[in-house]
Amino acid sequence: MGGSRPGVEVERILEALQERAKELSCLYRVHEICNHADASLDEVLRSVVEVLPHGWQHPADCGARVQVEATVCETPGLAVTPWAQSAPIRVQGESVGSVSVFYGKAFPEADEGPFLKEERKLLETVAERLGQLLLQRHLLDTLQTLPAPASLPSRRPRGDWRIIVDFLRKTDPHLLVRVSRRMINHLCWNGVAAAQDLLPKFAGTRPGEVTDENRPIARRSLESLRGVAEEAFRIAAEHLSSEEIVTLIQKWIKDEKAGFLTEAVENQGTSLTEIAEALGRFQNAGLEDVELSRAIQVELRVGLARRFLTDDLDFINTAKDYIEVRDFFDLTRRVVCPPRSHGRLGGKGSGLFLATQIARKSNEFADLLGDIRVPKTWYVTSDGILNFIEFNELEDLYNRKYLEIDQVRREYPHVVQVFKNSNFSPEIVKGLSLALDDFEDHPLVVRSSSLLEDRVGAAFSGKYKSLFLANQGTKSERLAALMDAVAEVYASVFGPDPIEYRAERGLLDVHEEMGILVQEVVGTRVGKYFLPTFAGVAFSNNEFRWSARIRREDGLVRLVPGLGTRAVDRVADDYPVLVAPGQPGLRVNVTVDEIVRYSPRKVDVINLESRTFETVDLAELIACCGPDLPGAGDVLSVCEDDRLHRPMLVDWETKRNRLVATFDGLLSGTPFLARIRTLLKLLAEATGGPVDIEFASDGKNLYLLQCRPQSFADAEASEPIPRDLVPARVVFEARKFVSHGRVPELTHIVYVDPDGYHALPDLASLKRVGRAVGRLNKALPKRRFVLIGPGRWGSRGDVKLGVPVGYSDINNTAVLVEVARRRGGYVPDLSFGTHFFQDLVEASIRYLPLFPDDPDILFGEDFLRTAPNSLAELAPEFADLDGVVRVVDVPRATNGLVLRVVMDADADRAVGFLSPPSGRPAG
Amino acid sequence: MKSAFNPFEMAQAQFDKSADILGLDPPTRDLLRFPLREYHFAIPVKMDDGKVRVFRGFRVQHNDARGPSKGGIRFHPQETVDTVRALAMWMTWKCAVVDIPLGGAKGGVICDPHNLSAREQEGICRGWVRQVAKNVGPVQDVPAPDVMTTPQHMLWMLDEWELIHGGKGPGFITGKPVGMGGSLGRTEATGYGVVYTLREALKRLGLDVTKTKAAMQGFGNVAQYAVRLYQKLGGKVVCVSSWDQADQTSYTFRKLDGVDPDALLAITDPFGGIDKKRAAQLGYEVLPGEAWIEQDVDILMPSALENQVTGETAKKIKDRVKVVAEGANGPTTPEADKLLQERGIFVIPDFLANAGGVTCSYFEQVQCNMNYYWEQEEVLAKLDTKMTSAFRAVADLAASRKLYMRDAAYVIAVSRVAKACHDRGWV
Repeated sequence: MGGSRPGVEVERILEALQERAKELSCLYRVHEICNHADASLDEVLRSVVEVLPHGWQHPADCGARVQVEATVCETPGLAVTPWAQSAPIRVQGESVGSVSVFYGKAFPEADEGPFLKEERKLLETVAERLGQLLLQRHLLDTLQTLPAPASLPSRRPRGDWRIIVDFLRKTDPHLLVRVSRRMINHLCWNGVAAAQDLLPKFAGTRPGEVTDENRPIARRSLESLRGVAEEAFRIAAEHLSSEEIVTLIQKWIKDEKAGFLTEAVENQGTSLTEIAEALGRFQNAGLEDVELSRAIQVELRVGLARRFLTDDLDFINTAKDYIEVRDFFDLTRRVVCPPRSHGRLGGKGSGLFLATQIARKSNEFADLLGDIRVPKTWYVTSDGILNFIEFNELEDLYNRKYLEIDQVRREYPHVVQVFKNSNFSPEIVKGLSLALDDFEDHPLVVRSSSLLEDRVGAAFSGKYKSLFLANQGTKSERLAALMDAVAEVYASVFGPDPIEYRAERGLLDVHEEMGILVQEVVGTRVGKYFLPTFAGVAFSNNEFRWSARIRREDGLVRLVPGLGTRAVDRVADDYPVLVAPGQPGLRVNVTVDEIVRYSPRKVDVINLESRTFETVDLAELIACCGPDLPGAGDVLSVCEDDRLHRPMLVDWETKRNRLVATFDGLLSGTPFLARIRTLLKLLAEATGGPVDIEFASDGKNLYLLQCRPQSFADAEASEPIPRDLVPARVVFEARKFVSHGRVPELTHIVYVDPDGYHALPDLASLKRVGRAVGRLNKALPKRRFVLIGPGRWGSRGDVKLGVPVGYSDINNTAVLVEVARRRGGYVPDLSFGTHFFQDLVEASIRYLPLFPDDPDILFGEDFLRTAPNSLAELAPEFADLDGVVRVVDVPRATNGLVLRVVMDADADRAVGFLSPPSGRPAG
Repeated sequence: MKSAFNPFEMAQAQFDKSADILGLDPPTRDLLRFPLREYHFAIPVKMDDGKVRVFRGFRVQHNDARGPSKGGIRFHPQETVDTVRALAMWMTWKCAVVDIPLGGAKGGVICDPHNLSAREQEGICRGWVRQVAKNVGPVQDVPAPDVMTTPQHMLWMLDEWELIHGGKGPGFITGKPVGMGGSLGRTEATGYGVVYTLREALKRLGLDVTKTKAAMQGFGNVAQYAVRLYQKLGGKVVCVSSWDQADQTSYTFRKLDGVDPDALLAITDPFGGIDKKRAAQLGYEVLPGEAWIEQDVDILMPSALENQVTGETAKKIKDRVKVVAEGANGPTTPEADKLLQERGIFVIPDFLANAGGVTCSYFEQVQCNMNYYWEQEEVLAKLDTKMTSAFRAVADLAASRKLYMRDAAYVIAVSRVAKACHDRGWV
């Protein structure tokens, strides 16, 4: 084997590669020159001539020439030789010039004379690029002032629309016809009678038909239409200014260019993939929807929102003002969908997408909201679940929702197993795999994004699953875990809770589809854990006001360290920190004792070693990696000497066991609250109603995780107060500081009579009232009774101010009512349940303050005082207190009625009234 | 016709009982049944929204015959002057029973800190001081934290007082953090004080402390230090109890060979709740919350809440029990008190047993006035001396006059104050 042959081979390859590099660099430079928007055409052509020879094999002996109509540019001293190649420059199919290259002397024969075939391709590409540039400039320049490239140097007065029309007539008569038609329409809509006369002339000739078969006839018709066009513009000139006409034409021409996208979006037959492709073309063509006419712009935005997001009208109505076509470019790259998909992103996905755009497009609050981020998200469209079911032949499942709920409940664990052991279609597997490549090994959360959420609001969303994934290990392990999670979320559609919920609301027959959001978990790795420094939820409307000074619109934030799961759900064994963004100074907990008692002690994290979602003690987390958590100093305070202060450097070592999560640093030392408040305000204004958002922070940036209209779990849902209430049936009424809520079927009322209470002669008797209430709390049916008492429940100061109880003495009530009776000229303050406020919140116990002495307030004191007292039956040891503690068995006292409490915060009014049990109309 | 409960009338009734035992003359009774001075004033505060709100503040100085009056400042939305009068009178007796040279006072502002931002609260604190700056101070009247007021409030008040008087005067107020004029030993003071009096009681009853067992209710600050000191003396605490936030009930944690406060503290959350799972792992029996009272021990130390020893629960007290040391305020109901008295159980009444706290406040003030701060051992040694002699005086009186301990404590306190008023020639 000779060693020379491979050497020659390598040399040849290297040479070829060098040539390719030269050609490419030449092409890049031509592109660069063409992109230089400010350069005149002359300058552009001169530059092109300068760089062109460098792309050829023998640059030293190479010259170039570019000719565009009358303009010619060439390498100085160019010799026209036979060793030449040339390519025409075309604009809209017509040749307007050429690009040529000449060699000054003979060179060895190659593919095309002395030229390489790659050089031919290069030449043609340059010619094509110049053609595009010319078209672009023709249109733009013409629209501004310039009629034709030939007369470039002589600028004419701005806004001469005649030149454009003239130009269109020459270059694109079809376009001219369509523009004329729109001009006539425009004039007609503006009541120009003469334009209406022109309408019949267009009759039967839709632009689409003009170009097809029957060419001779079409041409004739085109000719005649041109006349109409002239006429149209003549009329236009009488009614519109020159500038107006130019602007209109400009818009319409751009609209025409976006036509393919409009068509893709409007055609219900196109799949999401096709729309995504059309969007890609739109993006590559450098189009911006704001340059289109308003109608087309809105049409596109609405169409895209409807196809990708939701068909909810209110949503689309808002979305069209904020989501531009370009915003979909990035989105469509992260959508996983089955072939021929007609799915959508679902409620959660759409809500977050819209909120992000609203926040980003606010100029007014750019300084506060500018750097709010959204974690990287991939979407599986809502028909993914149908594809999954079809692929695994699980169609039988669709009718399971009509089974008895007990059966559904029994079988559900098996359904989950079947789902987890089923396969995804290859398209979805490929999509999820791509998503994982994009996410790398960052921990993920898989969230449901159901279409039903759009219909019934957020109350429903909690019924479906969200799963956290550590996303560690090999690619195939990660992919398997991701698919397992998606399958489990899919299975939750057939879970008993959502089915029961849907059945109750008559939504069972709706075909539920569910999108999936795969989202990066916000946070940092500390030790073996991955967690955000803090996270939480925020509401526009504060339905849990702990002070009369807090207004409903001051909002509410629930903050926790770590993952936000503990803030989203009510947690019985722990407390999130509550703040009202509109009144940051008024805190639920004031004394150090209270702050410590009601501080979060547990943290939800992702354990990257065991690859599981875990709840750990805050103290443990601090011990293992407290100072490593970015921004931990903003979350924790040191509690010592009955005081709280922000941790200093040394405190991490010496006072580790005295650290409490207070968020003092975050709330008082950073703009966090101002940002949340602004965000809530902005989103509520934009979407036309209160919102509920989820957020998280990795200690550096704030991330928006979710946004949806604020709605409420059952107990907090509002209900209009019946109009025709019979005053005799009203037990109590509140017209101040009312939150949302409804408590439908209460069977007992425990009433501590204010007069009786105040007349008690000694401390011991007053304290016994508290013990009697505690006893009743255990004897009465849970959440089926209301506690009504004077002043402040659980007052720790003077027992005269309210019945001395602890939370465990009242924790089974459904509603806690405080009565403020006027005494000697003043009405006492009520507690708003502050002594165990956070316990009430976490247990969904409603609170109501009553001011019976205010004008026009109904208070059924007689009923409460005269109805038979069941105290002796339920708590015989306290029978002697029957003048003070009254227990009304409502159905027994009223012949079968129950007490309903309806609280309407919008009207700031709440009523407790007697009513037949549900199923029968109120009388 | 029953009259409504009035705390001031109750305090007066208590006083009358002691006055009867002492046979006090009418002018002395008249003087001591009511406060010497009361200040009622308005505190205008500029709120966060720019508006001005006027708060009502007051200071009641019940008696200062034995020294500058002393007592807390309460922030309470429905404060009544009768409550404050009662509490001020109570402070007079409390200081007198431990024989520290201070009188009694109480004050407050009608407000709810839950409705106020920190800045607004600072405005109230400074406004309060401005209104009574001439009538309070280290040699006149010394405030302290109370319901809903914190060391932070005390520092704002101190700062304002010093601004007005143009100099440093940390002795104006107590309850300050260590390093800002606070005293070491305050955390331990109340719990240790309970055990100092308990030790003396055992001596008197001829019981060897090392052979005694005790049951503790609670595991808060007072209980923890009481357990430590008592076990250091050689006694054995067989159980403590704590509130379980998640279960909304309390549990008793029993270990018959003696609880280990350090081990328990390691599994206790910042608010005193013991982790019952981990306690069980450590070998503790987890019993119902009320079980502490029915233990077979010599000593009961209710150190958690009011009204824990009631007519009902007192019946469960074992015969072996000789002493009840009241670490908490008012743990025994009058009904139970009678039962204890009948059974001859020796009661160290709350306002003697838990006077370690107010004694330490006195020490804080003393240290501030001389601007020289003691080491912790010194504070606790002095506390022992004070508590021991206070106990002896009460117990001696109880023995000599055949009085119930609770009555003896009141009688001795009232007699000391009455004597000071006589000596000054007031009555």
